[in-house]
Amino acid sequence: MSRARVAIVQFPGVNCEAETARALARAGFDAEVFRGTRPAHELGAFDAFVLPGGFSWQDRVRAGAIAAKDPLLDALAGQADKGRPVLGICNGAQVLVEAGLVPGDGGISLALARNRMPDRAGYQSRWALCRVEESACIFTRHLEAGTLLPLPVAHGEGRFTSQKPGALEDLAGRGQVPLRYASASGEPATEYPDNPNGSQYAAAAVCNARGNVLAMMPHPERVADLGAMARGVGGAWGARRDAALERGSDDAFADGAGMLLFRGLHAHMQEA
Amino acid sequence: MTAPKRCVQAYVELTSADPEATSALGVARERLAAGRTLESVRRLRVFEIAGSALDHDAIAVRLHASTQFYNPARERCVLRTAAHDPVPAGGEEALVLVFERGGERRMPAERWWRHDAGERVEVREGVVWALAFAPGEDAAVRAAELAVTHSRAEGLFANPHVEEHRVCAGAAPPLDWMTKKVARTPRRGRRAT
Repeated sequence: MSRARVAIVQFPGVNCEAETARALARAGFDAEVFRGTRPAHELGAFDAFVLPGGFSWQDRVRAGAIAAKDPLLDALAGQADKGRPVLGICNGAQVLVEAGLVPGDGGISLALARNRMPDRAGYQSRWALCRVEESACIFTRHLEAGTLLPLPVAHGEGRFTSQKPGALEDLAGRGQVPLRYASASGEPATEYPDNPNGSQYAAAAVCNARGNVLAMMPHPERVADLGAMARGVGGAWGARRDAALERGSDDAFADGAGMLLFRGLHAHMQEA
Repeated sequence: MTAPKRCVQAYVELTSADPEATSALGVARERLAAGRTLESVRRLRVFEIAGSALDHDAIAVRLHASTQFYNPARERCVLRTAAHDPVPAGGEEALVLVFERGGERRMPAERWWRHDAGERVEVREGVVWALAFAPGEDAAVRAAELAVTHSRAEGLFANPHVEEHRVCAGAAPPLDWMTKKVARTPRRGRRAT
């Protein structure tokens, strides 16, 4: 059986395409970097799509705003309507939100705004615990609700917000918030640093109603290996990492937390 | 009794070509119906400084001296301390002010000002997009259409879920443009909002 093809859409300024390709290949996909200069119709040859992290078009005007107007996004919207999976990571998430593919209820109904943190501003690069929520999202639905995933975040504009009060809560009620920032005890994180950007409802990821388009701020591709998790990551994942490093074998190259999302995508593609 | 606060505006613009404006112009013309007749886009960062003892020359020196506001080696700064002071924009340009709702204050700049001048001021920062359209176009209407992003095909400069915007055409904006209460942006007409 041939491997499903995944296009990693690379606009100018995107810089996470290589590790995203490695993670997808490891999950069993035929991953290909699809440069932003290629004709949009060529996306039709792929089975799934990833918009990786970086700074598309230097974040000009607003993070993700210029790429969101690209003809490739119209083509991706068409593919998403057909049910094909689309994953936006970090800057990719900003593009999907600015393009209205997430939450996908017509028009643009969310923003990924500048981080809000006490006594500081700007870019945040740190590890965050993300809790899996009940959702139809194809990337997470194979994971048990309540599962904690330590994932790195690295962004200056990652705060999910809406001018409509309760919008994130409404989305969560419809199963469209598959990942929330959490404390070590697993409670939703309302405050910094567990909630690293002030995101409303502690949302770390939002998907469309169908569950095939996911915008997530953490970087799963950066934690494909168990041994890639920082020393500061504790809990069950930290214990697993420590044990693997202690054994000194290839165990450190076992799947890290981020691989669970790519494996989830693969499981979905196998079922489809 | 404290002296009443007055507000001044500083417009900061790159002296070289601005890639952000170039991208905005290209995307608006190629992808947005309201931008087809757009002829030029300029981007200016704008600071509004509110305090009680603001003297034009002292402010100009202070802005020039601090890295909190602009880099004189690559940007020019135009200061407005009175409502009749000109805005660094052509008369034909419509202005779209965009700033983050609740995130426009610049605390580090305020701390620096207090340290340097011993005076408490409020500093707010936003971005002004100066848009020139083809002759015959209603610049205020077109600018309002481009101001707020509603979908992939509509609007560009402000995401309403996090940003506020104001549109002004054919008149100088008020010095307290960011803090001035506005009912709503009119879709037609040529007045500051």
